Amino acid sequence: MKDFSFGQYYPAKSFVHRMDARAKILISIAYIVAVFLVGQFQFMGFLACLLFVLIATICSKVPFLKVLKSIKGILFLIIISAILQLFFRSDGKVVFEWTFIRITDMGLLNAGFIIARITLVVLGASLLTYTTTPVELADGIESLLYPLKWIKFPVHEFALIMSIALRFIPTLLEETDRIMKAQKARGANFESGNIFKKIKALIPILIPLLISSFRRADELADAMDARCYSGSKNRTRFKKLTFTYRDLLGTLLIAGLITGIVFLNITGFLMVTL
Amino acid sequence: MQVEVKNLTYTYSEKSKDLATRALDNVSLTINEGEFFGIIGQTGSGKTTFVQHLNGLIKITNENSSIQIGQFKLQDKKCDYLGLRAKVGMVFQYPEHQLFAETVFEDVAFALKNFEPNLSEIEVQDRVRSAIEMVGLNYQKVKEKSPFELSGGQKRRVAIAGVIVAKPEVLVLDEPAAGLDPQGKKDFLELLHTLHKEFVKTIIIVSHDMNVISEHCTKVAVFSSGRICAVGTPKQVFSDYELIERLNLDLPTTAKIIKKLSAKGIEIDCDLTVKDFVRAIKDKGERL
Repeated sequence: MKDFSFGQYYPAKSFVHRMDARAKILISIAYIVAVFLVGQFQFMGFLACLLFVLIATICSKVPFLKVLKSIKGILFLIIISAILQLFFRSDGKVVFEWTFIRITDMGLLNAGFIIARITLVVLGASLLTYTTTPVELADGIESLLYPLKWIKFPVHEFALIMSIALRFIPTLLEETDRIMKAQKARGANFESGNIFKKIKALIPILIPLLISSFRRADELADAMDARCYSGSKNRTRFKKLTFTYRDLLGTLLIAGLITGIVFLNITGFLMVTL
Repeated sequence: MQVEVKNLTYTYSEKSKDLATRALDNVSLTINEGEFFGIIGQTGSGKTTFVQHLNGLIKITNENSSIQIGQFKLQDKKCDYLGLRAKVGMVFQYPEHQLFAETVFEDVAFALKNFEPNLSEIEVQDRVRSAIEMVGLNYQKVKEKSPFELSGGQKRRVAIAGVIVAKPEVLVLDEPAAGLDPQGKKDFLELLHTLHKEFVKTIIIVSHDMNVISEHCTKVAVFSSGRICAVGTPKQVFSDYELIERLNLDLPTTAKIIKKLSAKGIEIDCDLTVKDFVRAIKDKGERL
């Protein structure tokens, strides 16, 4: 349990790690938009996106294999969507036919297209969580949501809830680990038995965990009260998010990527119409 | 049962290069049956990791390491952990945080039902009653109560009853007296001695309270940065003033007085328990 690292933050000191969380979030969103902007069968556009992820990965010092591993979780989704594309496209030239199965060249192209699209999106998104701690992410989101204040949305409280929840995940894991060990020492068995037995075996963990969560919540509320915490008014920050040359570079790069893709799309469109 | 630990090495987050931390580094230690064994050391020195190995809560990962407790070989993949845990009881820091059942009776009986599922109702009742009475609670009064209604001290007693009900031969305690008031602490240590006389043959106690160690332990091991730097009787260990200071540990009160007297040229020879210390001081006074 102690080996578990939340999210998938990869600790390192790199160009990307030092970037402003807000910039990283926005760039990631822009990147995803870019991937979806790539026009039909403009594989050059995907190549550009791949190049962007590669550059970002090199700059982040996260090992390539680690980034690639993030695809594992959604491999199933990728395969299913590719198969659907493969079998349900009936236009184009038939390349393979056997009883009711018919695979066309359009189907193949489309399957490849879908695989490339999902993979690229996941690679980019996981790079964001690899290089940004959950707390930084929460701060970044709070800052980005700030305009919602105008419609009386409690941005600060929302962000506080988010960061407390994130903050307590490792604590709860540690607590779970402790309680599990204490019950194991008393002979509890969490591994064997059928599903009902397994669920029943969880009671000796869940109840102490629930009780300690309430105790922690009470203690935290008291501690915040004792330090006169009163919401967002006049609060300053320990870690200020600042926009630096790194973020400018990142923005320029993503802007270049989007321009390139749009350009490709237009030329592709012109070539077809002319 | 003899506890024999050889070359125990353990690393947390072994797979990740950046997060890996070596918690234990080639620790070898033999704890004989009948011992009241103390383990001291700064926080983060590996004490807890060490004792959690003793009943298989942390499994041995290093191939050169081995632990043998009685007939149990913990480095074996097929080791009978349930059998081991029945013989090696473990009391954690703040044991009251492990309470979960609706009644005190149910909670105390939990370990018993896990380890000895074939016991009859009457036998279970007998064992639970004697465990609850042993920790100094009134069985009739508390058995039907919810453990969460009890006071802090009573909760801890119930939690300890829930461990000793299985009659372990080796009892491992990790900072068991933390947060108890002086009387509670005294009662608790008395309980340990009673247990030691009855069925618990070996007691292994991790503590930051040097007075507890010097007063009760027959042997002490000092941990520092995942290694053992000294093993011996409290007298031997606490006479190495330089080591104790270097590791930012404290001396027991008796040792402090002996150290101060020795600086003034008065040598006292005793085994650091209050009783023996008083005897030695009286002897010295008479001879002077």
